[in-house]
Amino acid sequence: MNKLVLATTTAALALAFTGCATNDAKYVDSQGTGTIVSLNQINIQDWNNAADKLVASLLESNVLERAPSLPAVMAVSRIRNNTQQQVDTDSLTKKIRVALNKTGKVVTTTTLGPDGKAEDAMAADVGAMGSFMAGEKQKTTLPYYTLSGKLLEDRAKSGKTQQTTYTFQLSLTTVKDGLAVWEDETQITKQGQKSSVGW
Amino acid sequence: MKRSLFVLLPAATLALLASGCATSVNTVSRAQPQANPDFVPDQRLITDSTLARKVGIVSVNQAKVSGDLLKIQVTLQNKSSKAQAFDYKFDWIASDGMELSSPTGGWKQIQLEGKEERAISATATSPRAVDFRLKLREKN
Repeated sequence: MNKLVLATTTAALALAFTGCATNDAKYVDSQGTGTIVSLNQINIQDWNNAADKLVASLLESNVLERAPSLPAVMAVSRIRNNTQQQVDTDSLTKKIRVALNKTGKVVTTTTLGPDGKAEDAMAADVGAMGSFMAGEKQKTTLPYYTLSGKLLEDRAKSGKTQQTTYTFQLSLTTVKDGLAVWEDETQITKQGQKSSVGW
Repeated sequence: MKRSLFVLLPAATLALLASGCATSVNTVSRAQPQANPDFVPDQRLITDSTLARKVGIVSVNQAKVSGDLLKIQVTLQNKSSKAQAFDYKFDWIASDGMELSSPTGGWKQIQLEGKEERAISATATSPRAVDFRLKLREKN
């Protein structure tokens, strides 16, 4: 009888501690708090938070209102990656573009890009072909603003504790005079001994 | 004497451990603030009374940025003397009551030092946003 009570209690305690944990793959909310936090990697929540802060900063600066007409045309210039990891900077810029597009104040051109590379080459080609067939000179809407930036990384260690800081820097430049009318940066710092699931 | 020392010493050690060397924040600000915030009357739904005891909502105020975008600022206060982290999330609601999606929405984290008062804010990315909902939860 005593053994039964002991076994039941042990099993109940074990269940309570594991919390029905399972290692099976599952879906988690990409914008929730159950995502993985890596020490040596920019996680999806980091891109999200950086984009959120930078978009809020840009909107609060009220510089977009200075464009001669709204929505202002913006081109995404080079975003330099000076971190140790290979990242697609669209993880940041696309979120910013989508958010700015939703405000109705900015549209992004996809037929102009850094080094003359159009993001949407087909749109550029079809536009050129259409103008040629119509015997007209191609009309390209030039951007009023360009968005450029840089990603930086700083690592520090004390004993077994690691710390990584990612800095996201952006500048909005008025094309006509080359002046950066808005600039900001945001930092995300992660500290710990190993990566974890959930914040 | 020896017996009381035996009782007091562990008690003091435990108290020190429990407090976690808590330090709170002293603050100085203008005696007569010049700011004139547009305060928003709010309603609160408390489902976690422990959290409500740990963090207080001091005020909610609003502004319009970039012409027509709603910005909400909520000032929080850590009621404890210990530093604490909280998760929060802003949702935006259109005039027809529909919740608006945001590409940069989602849960964020804030750490407040002991007794610290600090504002969290968010700007709607849609001019359709007229209302907001702030969710707060204890960090896991």
